[in-house]
Amino acid sequence: MKQLRAIRELSTIAILIAEVLFFAWYLSPEAGRAHPFLNAENALLILKYSSIYGIAAVGAAVVIISGGIDLAPGAVIALAGVVTGQLYVVDGWALMPSLAAGLLIGVASGLLTSLLVVIVKLPPFIATLGVMGITRGIAFIITEGRYYDVSGRLPPGWRPMGVPIDWLAPIVMFVMAVIFQILMTRFQWGRSVFSIGGNETAALFSGIAIGRVKASVYVISGVLASLAGIVLVLVQGQGKADLATGYELDIIASAVVGGASLAGGRGSVMGAVLGTLIFGVLRNALPQIPGATFYDRLIVGVVVIIIVVADQLLLRRSPKS
Amino acid sequence: MSLRFERIDKSFGAVHALRGVSFDVAEGEAHALVGENGAGKSTLLKILAGLVRADRGEMRWQGKPFAPSSPREAIEHGIGMVYQEMLCLPNLSVSANIFCGREITRLGRLDEAAMRSRTQQVLDRLSLKIDPDALAESLSAAHRQLLQVARALAFDCRILVLDEPTTALTDAEADHLFAVLRELKKGGTTILYVSHRLPEVFRLCDRITVLRDGSLVDTFTTAHVNTNDIVKAMVGRELGVRRRPSGFVETGSKTGEPRLSTNRLSRSGYFHGVSLSVWRGEITGIFGLVGSGRSELLETIFGLHRPTAGEICVDGAPVTFRSPRDAARAGIVLVPEERHRQSLLFNLDLRHNLVIPKGTLAGNALINSRDERRDADRILGDWRIKAAGIDAFPDSLSGGNQQKVVVAKWMATSPRVLLLDEPTKGVDVGAKFEIHEVIRAQAGEGLAVLVVSSDLPEILSLADRILVMKEGELQGELDGATATEESVMRLATHDAVSV
Repeated sequence: MKQLRAIRELSTIAILIAEVLFFAWYLSPEAGRAHPFLNAENALLILKYSSIYGIAAVGAAVVIISGGIDLAPGAVIALAGVVTGQLYVVDGWALMPSLAAGLLIGVASGLLTSLLVVIVKLPPFIATLGVMGITRGIAFIITEGRYYDVSGRLPPGWRPMGVPIDWLAPIVMFVMAVIFQILMTRFQWGRSVFSIGGNETAALFSGIAIGRVKASVYVISGVLASLAGIVLVLVQGQGKADLATGYELDIIASAVVGGASLAGGRGSVMGAVLGTLIFGVLRNALPQIPGATFYDRLIVGVVVIIIVVADQLLLRRSPKS
Repeated sequence: MSLRFERIDKSFGAVHALRGVSFDVAEGEAHALVGENGAGKSTLLKILAGLVRADRGEMRWQGKPFAPSSPREAIEHGIGMVYQEMLCLPNLSVSANIFCGREITRLGRLDEAAMRSRTQQVLDRLSLKIDPDALAESLSAAHRQLLQVARALAFDCRILVLDEPTTALTDAEADHLFAVLRELKKGGTTILYVSHRLPEVFRLCDRITVLRDGSLVDTFTTAHVNTNDIVKAMVGRELGVRRRPSGFVETGSKTGEPRLSTNRLSRSGYFHGVSLSVWRGEITGIFGLVGSGRSELLETIFGLHRPTAGEICVDGAPVTFRSPRDAARAGIVLVPEERHRQSLLFNLDLRHNLVIPKGTLAGNALINSRDERRDADRILGDWRIKAAGIDAFPDSLSGGNQQKVVVAKWMATSPRVLLLDEPTKGVDVGAKFEIHEVIRAQAGEGLAVLVVSSDLPEILSLADRILVMKEGELQGELDGATATEESVMRLATHDAVSV
């Protein structure tokens, strides 16, 4: 398993590097002018915007490996952002308690999903579709169409724990990715997640506490989505109800491009994060190609299919009975 | 001749599954294909069914070269496959199952009436009293198996290929299947019959082809050989004589409390008022036909279901298990009946499969890879599990070795009570022998074993004491040393009698 996973992550890195090299070549400027794509500032920009997806994709990867699916992250990102904004900007709470309240949104939505999946035994797709509607709906009810300028209210030059604000999102993403990569590969809990995704009945018969593990998976996904939400309002400013609309599908696509199987039991947290970077580079570079503006969604869709098909061909070739 | 395999060769990656196998099946004969798991039978059948293609060699069918590229093409050429796993669409009717993929239509619309009447004809021919409109899920295991035979017949198959058809059947059900097969044979249908169970093969087949490690050993005429000859050909060695149960009676003594006991344990709809005791160092067998509630009984003891009445005691103290995890923590473990569905994790390698129960029960959050790899390596060696190594995946193992993995992973947790549900189902002769040896050895060291099996010779050779279960109730108890196939069957099929 370890070998297979290592190979899979290497191929995701290879795709990312190939993509960067392609755009570096394709967008190379005339002599004497600065490169519009290949520069430190742009790289930070890509990282900063990809990280919002990346933080949530860590949770999505865990859920998908467990054999489930979570459609709520986009809505949870929005509600966490809105709650933080309402408390901090309108209700005059201090920053930290507002952020904590935003995180609690993830805990609550994750617990609700767990309840629906583990106790009520709804299929995860339906349960999280419902939770997605509920969380997005609450966001609209709270805002009534307003938006909250959180980052504008931050103390000038605010550096959480000494980190420049632009670096906040990438660092949070990196820390979460490392933590969950280790949890998934070095801890019993992670192996239980893989076991349940591979064969839930066998996992149950093997003495794994499947209810507890499945519940934990959805709570983690909720918390990471809300973390993405509060980071988003800190670095990009506005908390509003239609924030991050449609992110859930991009996040799932990132996890899949990073090697996760929607059938469960296969995938990696690092792969999912790399997957968000692949999309981040596309989203950044495509608009810079003259005339490509209207093609970017199409290209993103085609890329998802190409990568996943290539992955399957690669897997089929590995010797298996 | 009707079907001929000509130097068929097939490899999957590094595994050489078939090595130049040649034999023929004559028109109208019943031909058996036997061999241990991993001998290449399944691969040969897959080639015949159009699921995989041979690397080299050819098949000839009715005198012409035959290389089906899809199951559909095989069916169209009159190859009727009856698979081991019962492929059926549980949510559809019997007649829809029979015509699935080849529905009779009129002007593009489904002709239900024609399909129903054709289904009725085929069912009559098989003397099956089944309603064509019944849902497949309402049928018994045996009827679902026969449904596949019916499906093959409905397509006018010229050769009927059966892969381990009796694995899930009771003896009575198997008898019915044989009656049907013999009728078909009399009517001129050619039969290719794949099985581990030699008595069946001898009952039905004219000739027997033996495969071992992907190579042809020989084709025998049934009338000229006996079971021992075939076993020898299959395993390439003579197996030790089956030991009569012993051990417990001399060494153990039923003092104190039994290790595991149930007191009028019931689960409504499945079993009722079951009281039994399993002592330290004793192998207790439960014989019962499919549907007698035996699997449910084991699963209930294992904490998978709540009993509706009665109690379970360990060392005399009542216990309540809310999950298999609870039971396993108390040292009561179950090797379930279906290793594919209930035991093995095909996305993880053997190391993880072997250490997961121990690891998850131990409650250490962190995985110690080095220790686990060492443990898994040792288990592979101790149990003589034939695998490329601990990094191999379970699907690269034969059925017998997979089953060894399942038993071994539980034994690694040092259980106090081992519950076994059909421990050697679909397992080849050699592995079966080894699994039996291990069970005996573990019992010899004080493990309490409760084994459920519908394989009579297995129960007779393994159990110190045999409990017979029928329709959810225990019918009686026999001493393993004196029980015979007949005395067990009498209890299992007739009303309770004193023995």
